[in-house]
Amino acid sequence: MAEKFDNLEEHLEKFIENIRQLGIIVSDFQPSSQAGLNQKLNFMISGLQDIEKCRLQLNEINVPLEVFEYIDQGRNPQLYTKECLERALARNEQVKGKIDTMTKFKSLLISELSKVFPEDMAKYKAMRAEDPPS
Amino acid sequence: MTEMFSTLFGQSDAQGPPGSGALGFGSGKPPPPLPQSQVSLSGQLPPQIGDEGPMLRKPGASNEPFYLLRDLPVGNELTGNSNLITHYNLEHAYNKFCGKKVKEKLSNFLPELPGMIDCPGTQDGSSLRSLIDKPPVCGNSFSPLTGALLTGFRLHTGPLPEQYRLMHIQPPKKKSKHKHKHHRLQDPLPQETPSDSDPKKKKKKRDDDPDRKKKKKDKKKKKNRHSPDHPGLTGSQPNSSSLR
Repeated sequence: MAEKFDNLEEHLEKFIENIRQLGIIVSDFQPSSQAGLNQKLNFMISGLQDIEKCRLQLNEINVPLEVFEYIDQGRNPQLYTKECLERALARNEQVKGKIDTMTKFKSLLISELSKVFPEDMAKYKAMRAEDPPS
Repeated sequence: MTEMFSTLFGQSDAQGPPGSGALGFGSGKPPPPLPQSQVSLSGQLPPQIGDEGPMLRKPGASNEPFYLLRDLPVGNELTGNSNLITHYNLEHAYNKFCGKKVKEKLSNFLPELPGMIDCPGTQDGSSLRSLIDKPPVCGNSFSPLTGALLTGFRLHTGPLPEQYRLMHIQPPKKKSKHKHKHHRLQDPLPQETPSDSDPKKKKKKRDDDPDRKKKKKDKKKKKNRHSPDHPGLTGSQPNSSSLR
């Protein structure tokens, strides 16, 4: 999979370099540069053809739309990954806290109910022991 | 309001006097206790049902002392109780992104990309969002430009007008694995690039060169050797105590 990305990256780098050189030619054009300009234009088209071929290999790759917002703002997209991981961990901790609290509450409730309703709670525990979670 | 409450909760309160709403509750009476026969039934397993097999418990109404006792939900092995980062083997990714400081700018992620990429894309119409909202026309094949088509690209000589000039064109700072030094074409008009490229290339070399790190370490060692606090000094250095 990394090879597919490397291939695309290489084509994109060449394409961008070609465009950059095209921009330099155009910025101060001379008649002798016409042949070079034509060549660059055709390189640009062939570059687009190569990138188009790479597209077929990357059909199954999904990119989250939020990353595009980061890029459009001129921010590092790795910050999105970082924030995703931090949010996931924070949410994980939050849910774990809830689970722990609920577990403690359950055991506390059962112990208190057992003090007040010992027979009923014994039946309840027997029932729960009989019927495991379906 | 007391009438609403009584209709919701106090069906058995019809027995009580209607005028006893002083407390704000329906009849002021608790619901009548279950008759004794029903209580004993609920406490015992009826023998007929017990003989037939395990007790069937209806999920809704039940004859047992526990009303509305539902089955326990299916236990999921993976819950928030476990560390999901470890479970999905993302520790390395976590340490990589969250352990170190990730630089803010896009140019730090793409140092080789020329142009001013740290500016918002909406300013110059190069945003990716616009590509999604208005996708370009696709499906046509790319064919090279013929001689007739290339006549449209005959340009006037001379520099571009000021408004069309691209400012701060940065050359790519290649960190390529395959070093093709001879492959790169030379710039025909190196007007803007040399002044911009050299300090940046130097800066890039500074950051990337592992030899430089070694040299830095050596320099540090040398400095330490020559420092007055170094224990390995002989009489070659002037004695600090003699300074006034």
